[in-house]
Parts: sequence; structure tokens; C-alpha cells
Amino acid sequence: MQRRGRRRKVDYIAANHIDYIDYKDVKLLSRFVSERGKILPRRVTGTSAKNQRKLTLAIKRSRIMGLMPFVTED
Amino acid sequence: MEEHKYEVTYIIRPDLNDADKKKLVDRFDKILTDNGAKLIDSKDWQKRRFAYEIGNYNEGIYHVINMTTDQKAALDEFDRLAKYDDNILRHMIVRR
Repeated sequence: MQRRGRRRKVDYIAANHIDYIDYKDVKLLSRFVSERGKILPRRVTGTSAKNQRKLTLAIKRSRIMGLMPFVTED
Repeated sequence: MEEHKYEVTYIIRPDLNDADKKKLVDRFDKILTDNGAKLIDSKDWQKRRFAYEIGNYNEGIYHVINMTTDQKAALDEFDRLAKYDDNILRHMIVRR
């Protein structure tokens, strides 16, 4: 259903037919983290539950390999 | 064990000279093939700055190997040796 005044959010992963989320793709993953480096919730990004699980795994792997920060302090 | 496709990535120390780096890459390629892995490709991805400091370094060379294997030994042996090789800062084996 259409929410009043606001556009329905789209699942970026599904919309672009990404079936494997590569943890080395920092450019893609950085869309789904806040400025502080925290993983954004589904309600903010509109990602499906299935894709959010894949995304979370990829971001965590990326952090371990030093590609993305665990924390960003300002 | 069934045959699966794996992606092995490891980070090489940035101050390693070219000759030693080549030796290292060849050695780890051989460890995988000797234990029954079939390499699809094995090449440097890029030299990247880390998001945070790893072992007093701020950057490293990422090397990516794509391969298939049905031998658990190949993965275990790589993991064991990569852990205590000082020239490898970090490594990760992922099933694709």
C-alpha cells in the first residue's frame, strides 16, 4: 500500500538483481551503513529480510578484512 | 565432501619486495593445489588502505584466489599455514 506523502522504499538488492553480495564490494555495502559505520535497519533501507541477512553477513566479513570500519568516530 | 567453489582472499604485507611476494603467492597456490584444489585464477585484487590499522600497517595488498575443491584438507591446510605466516596479515575463505 502507498504510504501518504512518502514513496514506497525499494529493495535495492532485488531491484538490481544482485544474487551474490560480495564482501569486497565496498561501494555497494556502504549504501547500507550509517555515517558511523553501523548497519542500517531494514525499515530505513527497504531491504527484504532475506537480502538483509545476506547484507549483514557481507558487511561483517568486510569489516574483518579491513575494508569497512567497525566504528567511525568523528 | 562435495565439490564447491571457494574464494580465498588474503592480505599481504605492503612492504614485502616483489621477489618475496611472488614466492609467497606461489607457495600458497601450491599448498592449495597439493591438497586437491583446482585453481580457477589467482591474482592480486588491489593495494588498499585499511579502514582501521591491522598489525601496525595502514594498507595491504589483497590477493584473491578462485578455486574449486572437494577436499576439506586444502582449506584446513591453507588456514593453518596462513595463520602463522608473518607476511599474511589476514585471510578469509568464503564459499561461493
